[in-house]
Amino acid sequence: MDHFTQTAWLIPLFPLAAFLLLTALGRSYRKAGVLIGSIGSLAALVMSLLVLFERLGSDAVDYSNSFKWIDFGDVTFRIGFEVTNLNALMLVIVTVVSFLVNVYSAGYMKKDERITVFYGYVALFTFAMLGLVLSDNMLIFYIFWELVGVCSFLLVGFWYAKPAARAAAKKAFIVTRIGDAGLLLGIIVLFWYMPGHALDFSNIHNVFNEGQSGAITMSITTSIALLLFMGVIGKSGQFPLHVWLPDAMEGPTPISALIHAATMVAAGVFLLARTFDIFEASAAAMHTVAYFGGFTAIFAATVAIAQKDIKRILAYSTISQLGYMVMAMGLGSMTGGIFHLFTHAFFKALLFLAAGSVIHAVHTQNIHEMGGLSSKMRVTTWTFAIGTLSLSGIPPFSGFWSKDTILATALDENPFLFAVGLAAAFCTALYMSRLFFIVFTGKSRLPHSVEVKESSKVMTIPLLVLAVISIGAGFVETPWNGWLGRWLTGGAEEAHASGAAIVASIAVGVLGIYIGWLMYGKSSIERGVTSARMPWVANVLEKQYYMNEFYAVAIVKPVRGLGKGLNAIDEYVIGVAVRFIGLAAGAGSRMLNRLNNGQTQTYGLTAMIGLVVIIVAIVGRRFW
Amino acid sequence: MTDLTDLPILSIILVTPLIGLLVVLLLPKHRNRWLQTAAIIATLIPLVLSLWLYADYDKHQGGSAYGEQNAWVEVPLNKETQASNGVTSYTLTFQYDVGIDGLSLPLIILTTLITAMAAFASIYVKKRWKAFYAWFLLLETGVLGVFMARDLFLFFIFFEITLIAMYFLIGIWGYFNRERAANQFVIYNGLGSAIMLIAFILLVNTAGFHIDQETSSFVYSGSYADIFRNLTDPSAWVNLAPDQVGGMNPFHMSDTMQTVIFLLLVVAFGIKLPILPFHTWMLKVHNEAHPAIVMIHSGILLKMGAYGLIRFGIVLFPEQAKDWAVVLASLGLANLLYGALVAFRQTELKLVLAYSSISHMGIVLLGLAAFNEIGLQGAIFQLVSHGLISALLFLIVGSLYERTKTTTLSELGGLARSMPFISGILLAGGLASLGLPGMSGFVGEFLSLLGLFDTQPWIAGFSVLGVILTAVYMLRAVMKTTFGPIDERYLAVKDARLIEALPMIVLLAFILLLGCFPSVLTDTLQYSVEGIFKPLFSSRMGG
Amino acid sequence: MLPSYLTMAAILFCIGLYGALVKRNAIIVLLSIELMLNAVNLNLVAFSKYGVVPSLTGQVFALFTITVAAAEAAVGVAVLIALFRARGTVNMDEFDEMRR
Repeated sequence: MDHFTQTAWLIPLFPLAAFLLLTALGRSYRKAGVLIGSIGSLAALVMSLLVLFERLGSDAVDYSNSFKWIDFGDVTFRIGFEVTNLNALMLVIVTVVSFLVNVYSAGYMKKDERITVFYGYVALFTFAMLGLVLSDNMLIFYIFWELVGVCSFLLVGFWYAKPAARAAAKKAFIVTRIGDAGLLLGIIVLFWYMPGHALDFSNIHNVFNEGQSGAITMSITTSIALLLFMGVIGKSGQFPLHVWLPDAMEGPTPISALIHAATMVAAGVFLLARTFDIFEASAAAMHTVAYFGGFTAIFAATVAIAQKDIKRILAYSTISQLGYMVMAMGLGSMTGGIFHLFTHAFFKALLFLAAGSVIHAVHTQNIHEMGGLSSKMRVTTWTFAIGTLSLSGIPPFSGFWSKDTILATALDENPFLFAVGLAAAFCTALYMSRLFFIVFTGKSRLPHSVEVKESSKVMTIPLLVLAVISIGAGFVETPWNGWLGRWLTGGAEEAHASGAAIVASIAVGVLGIYIGWLMYGKSSIERGVTSARMPWVANVLEKQYYMNEFYAVAIVKPVRGLGKGLNAIDEYVIGVAVRFIGLAAGAGSRMLNRLNNGQTQTYGLTAMIGLVVIIVAIVGRRFW
Repeated sequence: MTDLTDLPILSIILVTPLIGLLVVLLLPKHRNRWLQTAAIIATLIPLVLSLWLYADYDKHQGGSAYGEQNAWVEVPLNKETQASNGVTSYTLTFQYDVGIDGLSLPLIILTTLITAMAAFASIYVKKRWKAFYAWFLLLETGVLGVFMARDLFLFFIFFEITLIAMYFLIGIWGYFNRERAANQFVIYNGLGSAIMLIAFILLVNTAGFHIDQETSSFVYSGSYADIFRNLTDPSAWVNLAPDQVGGMNPFHMSDTMQTVIFLLLVVAFGIKLPILPFHTWMLKVHNEAHPAIVMIHSGILLKMGAYGLIRFGIVLFPEQAKDWAVVLASLGLANLLYGALVAFRQTELKLVLAYSSISHMGIVLLGLAAFNEIGLQGAIFQLVSHGLISALLFLIVGSLYERTKTTTLSELGGLARSMPFISGILLAGGLASLGLPGMSGFVGEFLSLLGLFDTQPWIAGFSVLGVILTAVYMLRAVMKTTFGPIDERYLAVKDARLIEALPMIVLLAFILLLGCFPSVLTDTLQYSVEGIFKPLFSSRMGG
Repeated sequence: MLPSYLTMAAILFCIGLYGALVKRNAIIVLLSIELMLNAVNLNLVAFSKYGVVPSLTGQVFALFTITVAAAEAAVGVAVLIALFRARGTVNMDEFDEMRR
């Protein structure tokens, strides 16, 4: 019956095969490159859908299979895959977005000479991401976790000749690596404290969930959870390690949609869901997660209001929405987090691809240089509007339902975080309407030489598909129908239905859009009102709270200084010591050399003294 | 098993480079191509044979099947102190005793592989080809001998052969400051060898002493097996305190003596590894020697230090090693972080890689200091992995230098435009070096830290910082070289030739193989590593 | 009896050693070496008479030594004359060819 589930391990292999083929072919086969990449992801998509449909039946059993990777006799590391409902859902999210991005890139990257390389990297990423989703234990999860990171690095730095892209790629890798180091340590700690050194998720579930956690003390549980959460902070762009994500927008826009909006950055949330039992076992860890998420949500949303680069706004929006997901997890609502991950993947991918379509047409990313695009790019405008409404939390678009689930949970669990979430939702609506009205309405501020026209079909069709999903995807879980939650958690979780949350969430969304319209659409409120009245607020927001500057002073400089200092020690202390020993040896030899004066008599005398010393030594030993 | 087992296959592997050396000596000295072909063939044959050894190696029994022993040096000593109980003679014996086990087999394969690749990489040697390949092949024999020798004297001789061959290879074919580098190399390593010799003499004099039952003679033996057996046997002379035998026992090794010998070994092999304050010679070698030689040096010779530390330090003196594990771990941590931080400040690609070697050898020390199976496996894995990775990186450096005539980071940049293949491999090598999963570096790093956490969690915790710092300096170096705008000087340079690309692909393939299927290596190590810890936790604990 | 012979020989040997190591004149150095040889001869004879196993062998050896010493002195003086002819001096300080 579960035929497709058992062969789910094939899914990542399609994109892997595509990657290998593309690498082997080299750059010359441009058309074939696009085709191979797309077919690889299409095959994965079809397989994933089959797996998902198979699991929609209520009695789907989790399936896992693994083989020995490293065998130490009493300790074994295994590699394997596991299919649960959560994994099946993620599979579909990843493959849908990946396939659409593959199609879209055929248009977007058409003129790039390294398009085959691009498709190769995308295929490698898809492989790694699918592997991450399917992995059945922490170690293999970490392996794929790093691999997606490296693919992100490669794709952010895809236009390697640009110094900004180089810096962004390096930053993306290193900042996430800080989180990954924590994750690695977390896995190591987990390994030594788990009974039987088991790292697989089902054992983790059993140990931490079924009250067997007595073997592991509370403080250890908390530290494991917090170390794992470091990984989440890095990968999912949570405060304070979010700084890499806005910079990562240097990569091609389809990549921002695929990696930095829909899939890889959500891997952190996915990790939280996979190891949810560890977090649930420690209240302290849960609180930390919730507050980090809530803070990130409001923090990033405020920054997004003041940015002028279209992709940067969306990037901060992504950070903010990831904050929502993390907050949901911290509040104990795995369903809320995953649901938001699910809807966000589609509408944010949609927004990025639509933004890409805009950038493709106008060749700038500064929203103040755009304007009035609605008449010339109808499909893009309409799909972008759908994405905006969805993100702003306006019913019946999917973003509303998922955000509402989170807010309803927050209202139940922690009113303070509910308020934070509402404020962030307001900011979200505000910056999205600002973005929409500045870019698509009003007069064009583009130079006349730029002829704006709608992108080709190959780019707009993915937009339409994503728009349809963005509208419909929210109905899998509504306040009246907790289907997704039941399906994911096996009926343990109920839907949080709360009229107050619904009303409040709609109200702030509408209010945000209304104010945005007043300021940027109708212009009845002066645009520069904040920067005129409170210039420092506008400044702080535009500079992203000076986080980059802070890191430059607080971390980069000291590390550089330390390196410099140690380098000096290496050169002057150790180097000089070595030279001194050399000189001392030279001086000693010169002194002894004076004995060698050619005088037979001196030689004889020296030999005599030597003999006496030896005799004294031998005879003297008798008496000691 | 096939008939081939009857052949002295280890000796054949040892002698093949020497035969190659003879052939090289007979060839005319201006025929570079002939000479190189001869060298490549002479290195490929041991490679094939060692791979065959691997295929034939019985993972469940250890490698004792391939031992070869022959009496070599027997020095009769005077009979003055001859005891009365029917002893007829009194000799000092050294044997031609070669063998492999799970510990040395991977290193032998690493050696044959990297020397073969380095032989390919020697296309850019510009002068005195004949002498170059002669020393080169002698070096291979020396290194192989070090990993095969099962007799202290034999080990020492092979160790010195590598020293001499290396001295000339650095001093003649290096860059500008080559002679200085060669001198530093030989002084430091000569010092190391001297200290090692002292430790060996002390060992032979105490632990090597036993009564040969067959010939009923007193024997001072240099044989590793004898020394190991005596040290682990509570009734051997070396373990009998004077009051146990009623009076004097000059062969007894007191606890202080054991510690002294252990520390001597640590210093001797620590210089080679190199452990922190003794590292300056190695920077000079990395910076000044010919890239093909650095491949061998960084890829294999540094491993001799760690190999010796395991083989003689940890296996023979496990209790001392355990007592000093904290010190070893701290040194490892210092190596790891210090190397990484200083690498971050280097302006010269070769020096970045040199400091990265220091940093990675720190991980080896950490794995050793873990003092459990996982940690030791990790340390050895890291050895092999670092050998492959640094060989690959220096191979690329050699190719880069031939094209750009500089390896200063500030003068490089954007090379991915004109040399996509080399840049791609460099990036892959850099990623392998910073421990990207799927490549061999990760497995070694992970296992070492994992093992260390069990015994010294805090040091392991701090070591994770190294994971971050490695990424910082490695990416900086690689991206300064290949990313960014290209200098127009380098627009016209050509990408790798086939003879250059081939070793790069082979090395990368091995890195990926070990990264994806680490059991290829760990299963081989398993038996021997278990063997190291087994006697430790049973018989010796009483003494 | 033996100790007094040995003491005598030791004193002779020390005088010879002193002369051989300290004197400037090469001829005196040669004479001092003869002195040391004679001290050894004295020992040989003394041991052959008063030693643990007295036998004639020691005295025969002394005879041999005297012969060899004579030959050695002849060669030594010959070398010395050759040196004097070449360098015009017998001062030991000036003979430092071994340095080079």
